Amino acid sequence: MRKALSLLALLALLAVASVALLGGCKDKGGDNAAATESGEIKIGVFLSLSGKNADFGKTTKNGIDLAVEEINASGGIGGKKIVLVSKDTRSKPEEAQTVAKALATADKVAVAIGSVESGQSIKAAPVFQEAGIPMVSPSSTNPDVTKQGDRIFRVCYLDDFQGQACAAFAFKDLGFKKAAIIFAQDDDYSKGLAEFFRSSFKALGGTIVEDVAFQGEVSEFKDQVSKIAAANPEVIFAPVYYGSIGLIARDFRKQGVKAPLLGGDGWESPQLIQLAGETLEGCYFGYHYDPDDKDEKVQGYLKAYKAKFNTEPNSLSALGYDAVYAIKKAIELGGGASSDQITEGLRKVVDFHGVTGTFSIDQNRNAKKPITMLKIGGTNLSKVKVIQPSDVK
Amino acid sequence: MPRTIALLMAGIVGCYGLNWFLSEFIEVVYVDYLNLIGLSIILAVGLNVVNGLTGQFSIGHAGFMAVGAFVGALASILFTYGEIAAGPLEHAGLAQFLLCLLFSGVAAGVLGVVVGAPALRLRGDYLAIATLGFGEITRILLTAQDSLGGPTGLKRIPKMPLLPGASGWDGGTSVFWIYLFVFVVIVLAVRLQRSTFGRALIAIRENELAAETMGVPSARMKVVAFVFGAFFAGIAGALYAHYQHSVRPDDFTAVRSIEVIVMLVLGGLGSVTGAVAGAVVVTLLPQLLRPIEEALGIDGLSMVVYALLLVTMMVFRPQGIFGQRELSLKLLRRLIPGRRKESP
Repeated sequence: MRKALSLLALLALLAVASVALLGGCKDKGGDNAAATESGEIKIGVFLSLSGKNADFGKTTKNGIDLAVEEINASGGIGGKKIVLVSKDTRSKPEEAQTVAKALATADKVAVAIGSVESGQSIKAAPVFQEAGIPMVSPSSTNPDVTKQGDRIFRVCYLDDFQGQACAAFAFKDLGFKKAAIIFAQDDDYSKGLAEFFRSSFKALGGTIVEDVAFQGEVSEFKDQVSKIAAANPEVIFAPVYYGSIGLIARDFRKQGVKAPLLGGDGWESPQLIQLAGETLEGCYFGYHYDPDDKDEKVQGYLKAYKAKFNTEPNSLSALGYDAVYAIKKAIELGGGASSDQITEGLRKVVDFHGVTGTFSIDQNRNAKKPITMLKIGGTNLSKVKVIQPSDVK
Repeated sequence: MPRTIALLMAGIVGCYGLNWFLSEFIEVVYVDYLNLIGLSIILAVGLNVVNGLTGQFSIGHAGFMAVGAFVGALASILFTYGEIAAGPLEHAGLAQFLLCLLFSGVAAGVLGVVVGAPALRLRGDYLAIATLGFGEITRILLTAQDSLGGPTGLKRIPKMPLLPGASGWDGGTSVFWIYLFVFVVIVLAVRLQRSTFGRALIAIRENELAAETMGVPSARMKVVAFVFGAFFAGIAGALYAHYQHSVRPDDFTAVRSIEVIVMLVLGGLGSVTGAVAGAVVVTLLPQLLRPIEEALGIDGLSMVVYALLLVTMMVFRPQGIFGQRELSLKLLRRLIPGRRKESP
C-alpha cells in the first residue's frame, strides 16, 4: 500500500517536474487573432523529414519552401509574410498526431500542410479538426483522409480517380480489352488502385483475365508473372511503387511477355528509367503533370526549382508547391488569414491554375484535377493523353 | 476490502484532480506527452509481471495491445454511431466506454490464455520467438481485414467520455481515464508482487525446477502472469485508440513490443518503479530532444542520441535505473541522513 502510494507520489512529482522543466504553462490570452494581426501568416508543416520516408518529406518541403520564398519575395499575401513552422513526423503516424498538437496549440498556426503518407494525415486530421484549423494534404491519395473532418482538404487526386483514369485510358485510348492486375496486398495505395481499376475496367466492358497479389518486400515475381503470362493479357496494370516496378517488368520480359505495363504515380522517381532499364520501354503511367509541358507555370517552376536545389523536382515537390499557392488563393478568396477565413476560402477554390494542372476543390474537399498519362520511351517520358475528371464516370 | 474501495476512491479523486490541474493550466502538447507516458506505463508495468517478475521473455506485447485496440475501437464505434461511417467525432457514453475497455481487456486476456498455454512451455529464446511470431501474425491478420479498414485501420473512434466539470482538448478528460488505469495497474502489480502468488512467480524466475519441487504449479502460474500482462495491454490499446481516434495495424509492429522491453530493461527488470521510470524516459526522451533537433536543424538526431544513451546505460548500469529495488517510503527515509536512528 505504502509502496503504491509512494509510487504515485513519484509519478505526480515527475509529471509536475517535467512540465515545469518544459515551461509548458498555458498561455491563456492570445489565440489565432494575435497571429493574424501581427502581419504574419503562420503555416504549419508536418512531414517525414527523418526515418524511412524522409525522401517524401524532404522533396515536399523543397516545393513548399520554394513557393513560400517566391510569395514572400513578391511582398507576401496582402502585405503579410508567410512564416513556416516545420515539424518532423519521423516517418511515424502516431508522431504525426503529437506534432499536430504542437502546431495547433503551441505554435497556433493558421493553416497546416501535411502529410505525404495517408496514415500520418489520418492521424493528424482529428487534431486540426478539433482545433478548428484547416489542414491541406499535398499528396495523401487515400479516400479516407478528407473524410476525417470538414476542415481537411487535399490538392492531389484520389486513388479511385487514378484507378478509373487508368482503366479508361487502357480501354478507350489504347483499345485493350483484356487486362491483368498485379498488386501489393498489404499496401493501401496499391490495393485501392487495383480495386478501382478492376471495377472500372469491367464496367467499361473489358475483362480482367488474371488478378494476382503479392505481400511484403518481394524481389522475385516469377510465380505471379507466369500466372499472368499464361492468361495472355493485352495490358498489365501494376499499381506499385518505383522500387518494385523495375523488378516486375524484368520478370515479365524474361518470360517473353510483350504486353505493356500500366501504373500510377507511384512509379515516378528520378531513378525510374535507371532502375527499370529497357524493360519499361513502351509502358505507361499516370502522373500529376507533364514535365515537358510548355505552360509557363510548369516551366517557371521547374527552372526555379533546379536553380534553388540543383536537383530534378518530383511530383511531391510540385504538390507541396501547389498546396502553398492554393492556400494563398484561399486567403484571397476568404478575405483574410484567420483559420476560419482560410477554411472558407479553400472551399471556394475553383479552376485554380497550378503546376499539377488546373483544379477545383469539390464539396468533399478533394481536388478535382486531370491526370496526365505518360509513355516511357528510351530515357524520355512523353505525354500521351490528359484525362479529365469528366472523362471517367 | 473497505481499504481497497477507499484506495480506489482516492485514486479516482487523485486522477480527477490531476486531470483538472493539467487541462486547466498546462499546454495541450505537454499533456499529450504525459498521456503517452501513461499509456507506456500501463504497458510496461503489465509486461513487467511477465518478463520481470516471472522471468518469461515475451516480445509479443504489441499483439495484445493491437487486439485490445481494435476490439475496443470497434465496440465503441458501433455503440456510439451504430455503424462504421464517416462523420464528426463524438464522445463515447460512460457505461459504453467502460464496457469497451472491459471487452478489450478480456479479449486480450483470453488470447493470452490461448497463446500462453502452449507458448509458455517453451523457454528462453524459443518463447521469445513464439511470442514475436504471435505479435506479427496478429498485425498481418488485422491488415488483411477489409471490414476493419485494412492497412489504414479504424477511424473516427469516439472521444473519451465527458466528465462533470472538465473541459478542454477533446473534452479534457484523457488524463483522468489514462491515469486511472495507470493507478489501477500499479496498485495491482505492487500487491501482486508482495502476495504469495508474486513470491511464487519470483521463485519460478529464480529457479523453475526448484519452484516446482516446492509445489509451485509453474505452468498455471506462468499463464496467469501472462494473462495479467495481456489484459492490461488490451486496456492500453483501447485507451490508445480512443485517444488517437484512429488505429492502424502498423501502430503495433514488433518495434513497439521491443520499445516496451527497452523500458523494462532500462528501468530495471523486475521492479515496478523501474518499469514506470523506464516508461517515462523512453517516451519522453525523443520528445525532449525535439527542440534541440530543431534548433540544430539536424532531423533524426534524436534517434542517434537515444541509441547512444541506451548503449551507455547498458554499459555502466546493466541492471537498469532501479535494478530490482523499489522506491518506497523506507528507501526515501534511508536516503535522508540523520533520520535513520528514528526508525525502529
